[in-house]
Amino acid sequence: MSDLGQTEDHIEHVPNSDFTKEIEKEPGGEYIQRCIQCGMCTASCMVATMTEKYRPRKLIQQILLGMREEVLRSELPWLCMTCRQCEERCQEDVSLADIFRAVRNLAAKEGHIPDTVRGVVDKVMEDGWMLKDGYSDFIEDDRDDLGLETDLKWNTEFVRRVKKRYIDGVNKK
Amino acid sequence: MKEFALYTGCTTPVRLPSYEASVKAVLSRLGITLVDMSDANCCGAQYIESVSHKAFVAMSARILALAEKMGLDLLTVCGACSGSIKTVKHELDHDKKLRDEINALLAEEGLTYTGKYEVKHLLQVFAEDIGYEAIREAIVRPYKGVRLSAHYGCHVTRPEEIVQVDDAENPTIIDKIIEIAGGTAVDYVGKTRCCGGPMLGVDPILASRIGRDKIENIRAENVQGIVTVCEFCNLQLTQVQFGDEVEGLDKIPVITLPQFLGPALGIDFDSLGISMNRISPQPVLQG
Repeated sequence: MSDLGQTEDHIEHVPNSDFTKEIEKEPGGEYIQRCIQCGMCTASCMVATMTEKYRPRKLIQQILLGMREEVLRSELPWLCMTCRQCEERCQEDVSLADIFRAVRNLAAKEGHIPDTVRGVVDKVMEDGWMLKDGYSDFIEDDRDDLGLETDLKWNTEFVRRVKKRYIDGVNKK
Repeated sequence: MKEFALYTGCTTPVRLPSYEASVKAVLSRLGITLVDMSDANCCGAQYIESVSHKAFVAMSARILALAEKMGLDLLTVCGACSGSIKTVKHELDHDKKLRDEINALLAEEGLTYTGKYEVKHLLQVFAEDIGYEAIREAIVRPYKGVRLSAHYGCHVTRPEEIVQVDDAENPTIIDKIIEIAGGTAVDYVGKTRCCGGPMLGVDPILASRIGRDKIENIRAENVQGIVTVCEFCNLQLTQVQFGDEVEGLDKIPVITLPQFLGPALGIDFDSLGISMNRISPQPVLQG
């Protein structure tokens, strides 16, 4: 989390809806203003059950209050597992997984990406898939024993074009 | 009967090849033909999705376009891939501007996405294309009441209105198949909760706590095994049962659905890769 974790800095701001409007334009962010802060999301969330630092309701509240910098610099939006347990139960159709994904996209654009995420993204956009380095001779033998194809034939060209078009200039500090 | 293009995703071929082999063996036995895809790419789930929505859409769209070129519906066996490709399909089918932009990119290699082919998760193939009756008729060696708990995988069943696999709050497909094969399906607290897998890349300690909570809820029901339909869930629910924190606790075998169903259909253990499981399910599957 090298370039995150700056949440302790005090940032002056007054409540405003600018950040909410920004999120509303993103796919899945449309219904954020329907949130009534009931807390069903936090109550349903396994991450919130296991760590006190993560409260999805509070994170939504911060967005609604316009705390843009605090949210974008925080590691918390990266802790959403996108399991959508909260959404299944939200009576107002607020899609938290989509909202937090939109937040992560914005954070990434502004250089706030956890190191582990950056590492995987670089790997996938180079190799075309995630586990090239993990595909050992030992596993190849297992596949052979199972009668499975050992040449996995992943494409690398397409992801490089996608990276050039959509990620370069985004995934930078 | 029906034919599908098999999209394995990144993880299954390397980390759980027995899942791939058992999917093929079981579906073939039940009359479904699978064709391997070549020249595929990662679906972009979670990681690419987190940094660029457009890049993510492009990657999952290409997989749909490859299946379209093969003239086949697409079969996914991973929860993350299934959720991603279905979500992207939904977006492409409802946003013409986005589809045009992505199609322009795909056109550079002669691919196109029109939306006329389907994408299905493994559970749908069992429930819709094969059907419970045909599975029942194919059982030659039924289990004798072995107690098993189902874990469905978040991205397999949610969001329900988009993925359309099962009832997201009360999923039943795995449970029904357990019962058809002669097992006893056992409910437990937090059945639809996450395995913690998606947290691994961000906070592995937290990921393990979430996975172990699930294991303890299942253990409380005194079951002999856990049945999964996603390699990522399977690996996560297995690995959280190792390490100092769980020293001395009995390990519960984690079995993919086709590995469980295969022996009941008369398929030998070797074809299902049973000996490769980190926690041996042999006592369960022999029962």
